[in-house]
Amino acid sequence: MKTSQWHKFIQLILREASMIIKDHSLLLTLLVAPILYAFFYGSIYINKEEEEVQLAIVDMDHSDLSRQLSDQVNNLQIIDLVSAANLQDAQEMMYKGKVQGFLYLQSGLEKKVLSLQPANIVLAANAARFLPSSDLLSGVTQVALTVGGGVRLKYYEMQGLNEASAMKEVMPLNFDYRPLFNERVSYGAFLLPGILALILQQTLLLGLTGSIAAERDKSSVKTWVETAGRNPSVALYGKGAFYWILFFCYALFFLTVNFNALKLPIRGSFFEILLVTALFLLTLIPMGILIGSWFKNQLLCVQIMAFSTYPIFLITGYSWPYESLPLPLQWLSALLPTTPFLSIYTALVQEGGTIYQRFGDVVHLMILWLFYTGLSLWRIRELSKQTLI
Amino acid sequence: MINTIWKIVIREWKRVFRLPVHYWVLILMPPLLFCFYSYIYINPKLENLPIAVWDEDQSPVSRELTFLLEQTATIHITHQVNSLPELQSLIKRGAVLAAVHFPANMYHSLQTRHPATITLYTNGAALVPAKLIYKDAAQVIIMGGAGVTLQKFVKSGMNSPKAMALVQPIKLTAYTLYNADYNYQNYLAPGLITVGLQMLIIMVSVLLLNYELKTNTMVELLEISNNNAFAVIIGKTLAHIGIAWLNFILIVAVVLPLFEISVPGTTLKFFLLYNLLSLACIGIGMLVSSIFNDTMLATDIALFYTSPAFVFSGFTFPRWAMPWYDQYYSQIMPYTHFLDGFFKIYYMNLPLHYAFAEIFSLLLFIGLTFPLSIIFFRLKIKKIIANENQSMA
Repeated sequence: MKTSQWHKFIQLILREASMIIKDHSLLLTLLVAPILYAFFYGSIYINKEEEEVQLAIVDMDHSDLSRQLSDQVNNLQIIDLVSAANLQDAQEMMYKGKVQGFLYLQSGLEKKVLSLQPANIVLAANAARFLPSSDLLSGVTQVALTVGGGVRLKYYEMQGLNEASAMKEVMPLNFDYRPLFNERVSYGAFLLPGILALILQQTLLLGLTGSIAAERDKSSVKTWVETAGRNPSVALYGKGAFYWILFFCYALFFLTVNFNALKLPIRGSFFEILLVTALFLLTLIPMGILIGSWFKNQLLCVQIMAFSTYPIFLITGYSWPYESLPLPLQWLSALLPTTPFLSIYTALVQEGGTIYQRFGDVVHLMILWLFYTGLSLWRIRELSKQTLI
Repeated sequence: MINTIWKIVIREWKRVFRLPVHYWVLILMPPLLFCFYSYIYINPKLENLPIAVWDEDQSPVSRELTFLLEQTATIHITHQVNSLPELQSLIKRGAVLAAVHFPANMYHSLQTRHPATITLYTNGAALVPAKLIYKDAAQVIIMGGAGVTLQKFVKSGMNSPKAMALVQPIKLTAYTLYNADYNYQNYLAPGLITVGLQMLIIMVSVLLLNYELKTNTMVELLEISNNNAFAVIIGKTLAHIGIAWLNFILIVAVVLPLFEISVPGTTLKFFLLYNLLSLACIGIGMLVSSIFNDTMLATDIALFYTSPAFVFSGFTFPRWAMPWYDQYYSQIMPYTHFLDGFFKIYYMNLPLHYAFAEIFSLLLFIGLTFPLSIIFFRLKIKKIIANENQSMA
């Protein structure tokens, strides 16, 4: 780059900074929102997982076995038992939202178990809410199996086996569950890294698209292009450099301060994460400039962009597997830099992987960078023609 | 008065269809957004997820269990691995989501009355698939274990019913009510649509009064209303409730039936709760609009207030698991109360009286925001009239 171009490049960065300082909406979006959102959203999942899901228990047996069952269920960290007088009472508690389901222990339960007859316990879980109901289901299943194992242990002991031999007979085939990279399978540990990346992306896009729309709204595109010496590349990266520097600093802040505050481990190479984040931001900038350039009104731009957060997040493959999306949405998802980025980022941050293991995604991200750069340069040229005529 | 309000309603409808900041958000965005949310989950269940098998046993039992795992809906065995590092590498490359490990000598252990352990490894960083794989794999392996125990009892001469009772002394019958097969489309689409609606309504409502200044039409509006703040606010509210009804028709008559996610018998109850949510959102927006003249600032406030509503409402992550300050914060959003009621009257299809507490909360929002909006707007009108008089003098 020639010295004069460097000069223009620096001038554009300073111009952008001065434009943002004068525009309180951009100031809020770019300087306040990223930090505020990161702590605000982060705090929701600070406990990482739910505990003490309320479950009503209807104990019609009132036996040692039923008490043992309730005690074991209540001892689970995930469940908090609430006593109900009868089925109607339990059902009513669920309808009012006080409990997320109920466990029914029928009368004669212990008698049936002791006389080696099939004994049933019933769990009704409110699956209108997925997370609590699935946690209730796995918790109660675990207890039913454990108590069942205890019954078999007693049977073998009664048959004359000593405790050690009886233990071997109780569970000939055991099941061991070992989740990798999120050992407690907690919702917070899964979602938080993705949310922080999404905050980074959305605040950048809101600010950058807003800034481009403001250029058109305030008829200052001509000044922007002329400051860049009518060179679209200088116009693109001169304006974009400000955002790249700012959001790279935010990324550093999130990866250090927020990750620490939220006790999120970084399992992969920090340097590789920064490298991929830098490429991701570099791809978002031409994409943001391209989107913003279609708006003539800053207010409308903010309104429309506000509705992009959830749709983007939901089709990136982070919360719902990419392969399970309908084909047209897979194509759309492939056009978003968020999709390859989150794939690499998750592998690096949560799984301790390397860039080489997600090389295809890196290439995907680079192709998108070139694609959006090409389109945004074309668009800047178009805008220049319109304004400079 | 009724005539004046009616004139304001008609005028507001014209504005909605004329101003891009209104029609983009209220007319064009809803069908796109609602269909998009429903379409994402058109395949509502996760099936055939790639799983590896790490079989160190190579026995008839491990082959039988592998076969049974393959028969489940979620599991599709795509890779064979020989070590944990190999499995981890596959997960990191995104090639598989989980693996089942059969230890060496498992079959021999079972025959010699020594317990064996089958391990399921999942990628916990992919939470939804991990949970579904666990559910199916656990079922197969626990059943396999039960089968081994049953065989032992039968071989020892025990009769079948007795053996069955000992294999599973306590049988758990589980009913997952209101969404028996964990259908993600039925669960997420209505929630996403309603949270989108509250956002759409608030984002536009914050512009209802102050945008009149931007379009230089405030004087005209005051002339029509005879400087009556009450008439302006009621007229604009009625107009926007009318638009909200259009969107309600779009949801219940087009989007939900199109994607087959309607819950029969809930439309009227949903309509009532929806109206209360719409009024609460218009009230909040109107209040912001009556206080702030700057439309960009008002929009930023609306964005900050509405965008976290989905996560704070406890839809995907329950509120009781959030820290106390976030639980309090969630209460100042009408969507939180709407959602609690929506769960009861829509997802659970319960009678309306179960949602009375939530209805009361939404009425509180309405009862607080509208009078305050009228007071603030009345002050603004006085200021405008004073300025007008000053400039005329």
